[in-house]
Amino acid sequence: MIGTHFSGLDWVIVVTYLAATMGTGLYGRRFVGGIADFLVAGRELGLYLAVATLAATEIGTITFMYYAELGYKTGYASFVNGLIAGLVMIFLGRTGFIVKRLREMRLMTVPEFFQVKFSRNLRVFVGILVATGGILNMGVFLRIEGTFLAIISGISLSHIKAAMTAILLLELVYTVLGGMVSIVITDFIQFIALSIGTILVTIWSVHSAGISRMYEAVRHNMGAGGFNPFSNPNYGWSYVAFQVLLMLAVHTCWQTTAMRTFSTRSPEVSKRLFSWAGFIFLGRGMMPMMWGIAALAMFGPAQNSLEAMPRMLTAILPSGILGLVVAGMLAATMSVNSSYLLGWSSIIAQDIILPLRKRPLTSLQQVMLNRGANLFVSLFVMVWGLWYTLPGPTYFYLNMTATIYLSGTLVAVVAGLFWNRASTLGGYMAMAGGAIATIAFFFFKTPASYAGAGAFGLAAIGMLVGSFVAPRKQPALQVAPGA
Amino acid sequence: MNYNLRDMDAWYYFWVGNFVLAGSAFTVITLIVLVRGIRDLREMFVGLRAEAQQPR
Repeated sequence: MIGTHFSGLDWVIVVTYLAATMGTGLYGRRFVGGIADFLVAGRELGLYLAVATLAATEIGTITFMYYAELGYKTGYASFVNGLIAGLVMIFLGRTGFIVKRLREMRLMTVPEFFQVKFSRNLRVFVGILVATGGILNMGVFLRIEGTFLAIISGISLSHIKAAMTAILLLELVYTVLGGMVSIVITDFIQFIALSIGTILVTIWSVHSAGISRMYEAVRHNMGAGGFNPFSNPNYGWSYVAFQVLLMLAVHTCWQTTAMRTFSTRSPEVSKRLFSWAGFIFLGRGMMPMMWGIAALAMFGPAQNSLEAMPRMLTAILPSGILGLVVAGMLAATMSVNSSYLLGWSSIIAQDIILPLRKRPLTSLQQVMLNRGANLFVSLFVMVWGLWYTLPGPTYFYLNMTATIYLSGTLVAVVAGLFWNRASTLGGYMAMAGGAIATIAFFFFKTPASYAGAGAFGLAAIGMLVGSFVAPRKQPALQVAPGA
Repeated sequence: MNYNLRDMDAWYYFWVGNFVLAGSAFTVITLIVLVRGIRDLREMFVGLRAEAQQPR
């Protein structure tokens, strides 16, 4: 048992929050009439609701944990990650680059793009890569979120495993029944709760650690590398280049983010969504990194880097506030997990199983198939989350599992949208090149920045070579069939 | 340790400026979304209901 101020009042706050989330989540199922409602909420999202659901989906306890870990290990230099994530998103919003055209195509999943522009078989191939990378990525969420809750609530890790399983089941119930509609409704509540938690924790941690003590802690432990990302061995120019490409890919081709693009009311709303959410993404990165730096100032560098931030919270937050923060973190956890569950299972159902079937399914049969895939992904995540051990900092693991498919996908999407010669062989070679370079990170321990930048480079070469060897013969479609 | 103090301070102020901007924007956008998101939610329900009433 770990010392914490978590009291009966905090439990009441948390349980009330969970009950309210379940109730609103279940309310969404009455609006699901077909597959477009289930996967893209009938394309009815207005700007502010889209901002709430995108932010709630991409801000989870896992996000706080890995960004705080980066702050703890690499000081203020870690802010470069938050800055790139936010600026790239604002750039996409201001220009509409990629996102506007993707929205105009009326897609429901990212691999569907590959059938429209290239071929059905390539869609299946991409679907397999996307589902593998995405589910491996999500696979570590439960363990890390459980670690956070165990430390902050004082419950032992063995009991937390049961609690995390119960939370996953709660998310599963409303995701299976209401799909994207339920997720959007709960995301709205979760966005408010997690934002309040984020702001409270930021104020509390900076106030408790002291701004000058934080500066001194970074200077003393890291020197210039704690401030200047170009003199920090974890970062440098190749890392910055990799991050710009990765964020470009994440914001446009990451299934859970792309589903928000596809769900907006119009291409114009999708553009504005990115302009607004870009500012949220600046804070999404920098605020938890500041918590990590505060933990460094309070405890020194000898802590377990992943656990330092939650340990600091238990030390500084009083009862009542701790309950609000845990409710906020649970909100973050549930919104991310439910969206990811829907995102990856939709790929399995829509992009792997459906294209391989001889007879098409009706819209309602597709909803049932997606519900089955929801169950499968939940089971996998539960098992994987219990036994897999991370090979290094969480952030780099998540980056690389995403890069397995994002490098090739970004290259193929840009080529498919803006280059008439881009061909199916080019698409295959781009996807294979990106995946092979990324796998080097896991098997040969290549540094993340080199493996990541190499993945995008190989994907681009693959696309060029494939398209010149076997150029496209017919013009591609402009809109998803049956949209 | 070999580092340039002035360079370090410049980076420090750069990051603190970014942090203040990011935190303020996060807070303001949260408030705007809280107020105007409710209207969007209502419109989404209306749209989904209208769609459900159309013959498929």
